Amino acid sequence: MRNLPLIFFIIFSLSTLQASEVSEWFERESNQFLEIINNNEGTESENYERYKYFVNKNFAVKSIAYGLIGEKIIENSSQSDLSIYLDVFSDYLIKTIYKLANSNSSSSIILKDVDIKNDIYIIKSEISDKKSTANLYWKVINTGESYKIIDVIVENTSYFVTKKSEFNKILRKNRGSLESLITEIQKI
Amino acid sequence: MIKHLKVILLIISVTFFQTTPLYANEEVSVSGISYDEIYDPIEPINRAVLNFNFFIDDIAIRPIIKTYKFIAPEPVEKGVSNFFSNLKEPIRTVSFIFQGEFYKSFNSIGRFTINTITSLGTFDLASRVGMEKNETDFGITLAKGGVSSGPYIVLPIIGPSNLRDLSGDVVEYFVDPISNNVPNREYIAISDGLNERAEIDEQLDRVREASSDRYEMIKSIYYQNRNAQLEEEYIQNLPVPKIYIE
Repeated sequence: MRNLPLIFFIIFSLSTLQASEVSEWFERESNQFLEIINNNEGTESENYERYKYFVNKNFAVKSIAYGLIGEKIIENSSQSDLSIYLDVFSDYLIKTIYKLANSNSSSSIILKDVDIKNDIYIIKSEISDKKSTANLYWKVINTGESYKIIDVIVENTSYFVTKKSEFNKILRKNRGSLESLITEIQKI
Repeated sequence: MIKHLKVILLIISVTFFQTTPLYANEEVSVSGISYDEIYDPIEPINRAVLNFNFFIDDIAIRPIIKTYKFIAPEPVEKGVSNFFSNLKEPIRTVSFIFQGEFYKSFNSIGRFTINTITSLGTFDLASRVGMEKNETDFGITLAKGGVSSGPYIVLPIIGPSNLRDLSGDVVEYFVDPISNNVPNREYIAISDGLNERAEIDEQLDRVREASSDRYEMIKSIYYQNRNAQLEEEYIQNLPVPKIYIE
């Protein structure tokens, strides 16, 4: 019973340490993201390569890709189909992030708060340009080796939730055919 | 005839409100929210209306908005947006009273008084003195009263809604103390609509570019935004993917 304050202190210290680690990671990676967004030099393909590097390094691509189609489709698909889907989705994610970011010229991303729920870090930040400011939330997991983004929420719109609705619709329309989904998302 | 129509509409409304859940597969949601199966029984009609809306937007509304955004300096755009938002403070006050949110109700009427006196609502001085804007409407009031959303509806020109939010809009139209006391309220409604369209111009451009199914995307965004207004811990409760080893 006497050790209870000590236990609370250790738990509090650990969670503070974790929050500060993820904050450091976020500051570093968001600065890199801003550099990519605001970089007007270089060709379009060079810029695209920079986005590709950023997305592959910081996004939990496999978790997002598999989460979007659901376990039933994963179980019913062959490894080769899943591998193709993963490649196509990776490209799709880069393109959608590229399009999203390219329509903004952001001057700053400010870290506001870090919250932890069910081992998922919820990082609240504010993205601003000369015209406006928007709330930007990042859901991040610690994989042991690094931190990976599993969702980005702009104002109240979640990338994962929105894409899941779209993908589900395509899958339902095509009786759960992963091939059809691959064909559809390749069109973007 | 109109009397009969009202009765029929009332019966339809009550039927939907009593029998339809917020989402059709509400019970399978991990977090209590499911966006996969939003109740959408008239999808083919909705899709046709959305296509019509995009057509009208392309040929008439979008050019007006793009020109307006090109000509109007940023402070003018902001002023116009503030002006229309300020006109909604009295109806927000009424909505908050029905929700039992009396502090927010006082805040809304206080904001209206301060902003109207100082700048006719074009500058949000109230926010600068700590009276932050709280969004609400009669659709939210109905939701907080336990009314289900009913079917998703895409309205011509106006855009996405559902039976509950549409009913809220209709109530607002009749009880709004501002628009009921202003001559030519139609012009204010149209201008407000154009202003709202201008505010989401960039988001709409993104929907056009980065979506494999813009109908599903708009529907999902609509429900996410409405739920954000209803739930305290909306961001925390959003569904997340299962984690796989990368």
